[in-house]
Amino acid sequence: MGQAARPASRRFYDINGWCFVSAALALIAAFMVYPICQSLWMSLHSGQGTVTEFVGLGNIGRLTSDPIFIKALSNTFVFLIVQVPIMIVLALVMASCLNMPNLKAKGIIRTIIFLPCVTSLVAYSVLFKSMFSYDGVINSTLAYLGLISEPIPWLSDPFWAKVVIIIAVTWRWTGYNMIFYLAAMQNIDKSIYEAARIDGISAFRRFISITIPMLKPVILFTTVTSTIGTLQLFDEAMNITSGGPSDSTLTLSLYIYNLSFKFVPNFGYAATVSYVIVILVAILAFIQFYAARERE
Amino acid sequence: MNFAKRTTLKAIAGLAFASTGMFSAAAASAKEVTVWAWDPNFNIAIMKEAGARYTAKHPDVTFKIVDMAKADLEQKLQTTLASGVTKTLPDIVLIEDYNAPKYLRSFPGAFAPMSGVVDYKQFAKYKVDLMSMGGKVYGLPFDAGVTGMYYRRDMIAKAGFSDKDMQNITWDRFIEIAKKVEAATGKKMMAMDPQDIALIRIMMQSTGRWYFDANGKLDIKNNPALKAALEVEAKLITQNVFKPTAGWGEWVGAFNKGDVASVLSGVWITGSIKAEASQSGKWGVAPIPALNIKGSVNASNLGGSSWYVLAGGKEKNTAIDFLNAIYAKDVDFYQVILQSRGAVGTMLASRNGKAYSEADPFFGGAKVWQSFSDWLVKVPSVNYGIYTAEGDAAVAAQLPNLAQGMPVDKVLDNIQQQLASQMK
Amino acid sequence: MMINWVEKIRNALTYTFLGVMAFLSLFPFGWMVISATNTSTDVTKGKLSFGSALFSNIGKFAEQFNIGLIFWNSAKVAILGTLFTLLVSSLAGYGFEVFRSRARERLYQGLLLTMMIPFAALMIPLFILMASADMLDTHAGVILPLISSAYIIFYFRQSTKAFPGELRDAARVDGLKEWQIFLFVYVPVMRSTYAAAFIIVFMMFWNSFLWPLIVLQSPEMKTITLVLSSMGSAYFPDFGVIMVATVMATLPTLVVFFAMQRQFVQGMLGSIK
Repeated sequence: MGQAARPASRRFYDINGWCFVSAALALIAAFMVYPICQSLWMSLHSGQGTVTEFVGLGNIGRLTSDPIFIKALSNTFVFLIVQVPIMIVLALVMASCLNMPNLKAKGIIRTIIFLPCVTSLVAYSVLFKSMFSYDGVINSTLAYLGLISEPIPWLSDPFWAKVVIIIAVTWRWTGYNMIFYLAAMQNIDKSIYEAARIDGISAFRRFISITIPMLKPVILFTTVTSTIGTLQLFDEAMNITSGGPSDSTLTLSLYIYNLSFKFVPNFGYAATVSYVIVILVAILAFIQFYAARERE
Repeated sequence: MNFAKRTTLKAIAGLAFASTGMFSAAAASAKEVTVWAWDPNFNIAIMKEAGARYTAKHPDVTFKIVDMAKADLEQKLQTTLASGVTKTLPDIVLIEDYNAPKYLRSFPGAFAPMSGVVDYKQFAKYKVDLMSMGGKVYGLPFDAGVTGMYYRRDMIAKAGFSDKDMQNITWDRFIEIAKKVEAATGKKMMAMDPQDIALIRIMMQSTGRWYFDANGKLDIKNNPALKAALEVEAKLITQNVFKPTAGWGEWVGAFNKGDVASVLSGVWITGSIKAEASQSGKWGVAPIPALNIKGSVNASNLGGSSWYVLAGGKEKNTAIDFLNAIYAKDVDFYQVILQSRGAVGTMLASRNGKAYSEADPFFGGAKVWQSFSDWLVKVPSVNYGIYTAEGDAAVAAQLPNLAQGMPVDKVLDNIQQQLASQMK
Repeated sequence: MMINWVEKIRNALTYTFLGVMAFLSLFPFGWMVISATNTSTDVTKGKLSFGSALFSNIGKFAEQFNIGLIFWNSAKVAILGTLFTLLVSSLAGYGFEVFRSRARERLYQGLLLTMMIPFAALMIPLFILMASADMLDTHAGVILPLISSAYIIFYFRQSTKAFPGELRDAARVDGLKEWQIFLFVYVPVMRSTYAAAFIIVFMMFWNSFLWPLIVLQSPEMKTITLVLSSMGSAYFPDFGVIMVATVMATLPTLVVFFAMQRQFVQGMLGSIK
């Protein structure tokens, strides 16, 4: 790059550029890049605590025959495949309802629906754990309404525990995504809708063929961030169910935690599992970008 | 600007440090021993009592006892040990017996050996075995996890049973009683977290077996104790003997609220049972049921923990001297913590104290502590090995299969497979 | 007439749907507030009406913990952390967007990739790093590694796209230096972007859990989330007291959100463009 013939203004421009980003880059280098390198190096080792040996790519081989890893991976995918679409669709529908021009109490409803995402992960996990306990408020309400005759073992049944996690995550994050959609919808030119309405196109068709395509970049953005979030799902699984019962809500991040802090500490293998998450996120993000581009 | 600000901050921080430094310089000879533990009503309170006793004789030594959740403590300890940084560690840390071999093996040199200082012959042997490695003994044995069966005398009476019927029974008999109690009172015999495998561990150790043999080798497929324990667990699940609960709080709540007729657990649960004062006089204690196989006794262990001194701690020697002076010598201390906290120590001489022979009106005037210390010496010794947490996870993962009627041999196969893959 | 009728049904459905959603959103908050006034046993039984144990719960909480200190710790971490994050990230977002070069574009893409790394993977190396810098058990040690958030840099860069270039050019003509343009033109114009980022980052710091859990050692340094977590996993959890703590942990983020709600939505609007 650094040719001597470069005009002075260009160099000035470049120096300014580096000045502005330098603080962030220095911090990223120290607190991201360096630990990443270190954990890559760690992932080539295996052992107990500080007693480790170099195993090269041995940890990768171990992954394929590790039933807990496979379980955690499949759980994570169940959360991903079930939770993310439910949340995105729900957020989209709510956003388009709230975007209706003559709706009353718009601001209040929007605020209420956004409210869950200001709670801390720990606080809301504690809340959900108490609400879904065997004798808890959810079971007693459902029984009162006559919807169930026996209490549902929310937290002690493998199926229901997954449901609780999905409900919890959806509760926490739907409003957050909705705000993005709502914001984007308000940027869409109203006259497009008006024209479509005059042409006799139904509200549902307008939603499918105007709103969705116009929101594509935002939907892509939220899908990618939600995917990352789900693949890294930790606090909820940790604080509501501790990954149980019988590993039915064990996520990859929680397995990393267990490998580091619950089982015989094997930080090398734990680092290897965490790079599985990195690779999965990269692949899924790529697919989502590709799919979005394809339809254009 | 950013950096300038930080320098100013640093300068201010430096000033603050300097001022605190002056204070500590004034009391240069003072020693502060830091301790990490996890239960304010139990081991924290007991450690405060122990500290007060030591400070009374050594006024220059004070104690800073840090309370944190058990999972947080273990996580913090492991991170710090793994990083090789010792200066933020405490001088003394409480470690659960199941985890002790794991820590000793994974972080060699992190803990200070105390053999040579402490006379280990005066402690229950199974405790000392757990803290021994390579000919050295680490840590100081603290509380016992000797198990008992606590039962509601009023509830079993409704079903036509008396205290006599509860003594030295088998698990099959326990299930029979459970059904009659439920028929008579409408209450379940016990509460259980369906993902908790505490009962399986109790049953296994009652025969002196574990997931691993004495050499630490995997012992699952041909382990009669584990097989019998899983069979009992399957019966408990399929025959609907227990009230399902999730987590510790719900489980404690079930017997405090009077929803269940018995509790099978370690002696440390006594405090939680007695916490519900309105149930005084209604409880009795009997030995736990035995498995229907050779070698199974009506005594076992669940949990229990010990104190370990960090080798890199500032006050290492003071910490060792303190533990030795109180926990290995002070019989009266053990009487106090038994009475105030229900802590059964593993120092054998402590059983001769007066508190152990006292009758407890909460348990209908029975000498429960005497019973527990009688059972303590019967607890079979096992080698927990370093992979107990992995073993627990492997068994817990199979519980749904067990509930759906998968043959126990197949379940054992699955456990073997998962555990083998974790032991690398 | 027909269309009017369809419209009415649709409105009714919309209101019902939004009403149900709003109820579901609020229900856990209601449960939290109700439970804070009940005893532990009533909470586990699922009692859905106000009790009289509020003051005894608060009293027990104050007895076990130094509430003022816990709040001070949380506020210190959250406010300092947020200010530094906003400063560093907006500088970077601005720099990446305004002064483009191939090298920086590459770095930026690399930066976005770091979003994918789960924190668990970095925890041990980060801990060793902080230990060697002698920053364990300090609030600075909690804040520093969390400042460099790729997400917030991304957010600022996206928002900067909406910053009118003419303003910058005019300022340059007026002879302002680049840092002056940033400080005196960009920052005031982008107020609402900062407000939105403030809420997001404030919540991130206030609610942070895993990293402070490892870095902070002594009880005097603990933040409210750490206290809440250890209360929840205690041997004898008192759910009434826990709910009081939950209310207290949630209240400040609610206040910040309500105080800055309008700017927040405006800021969001900016980032989408």
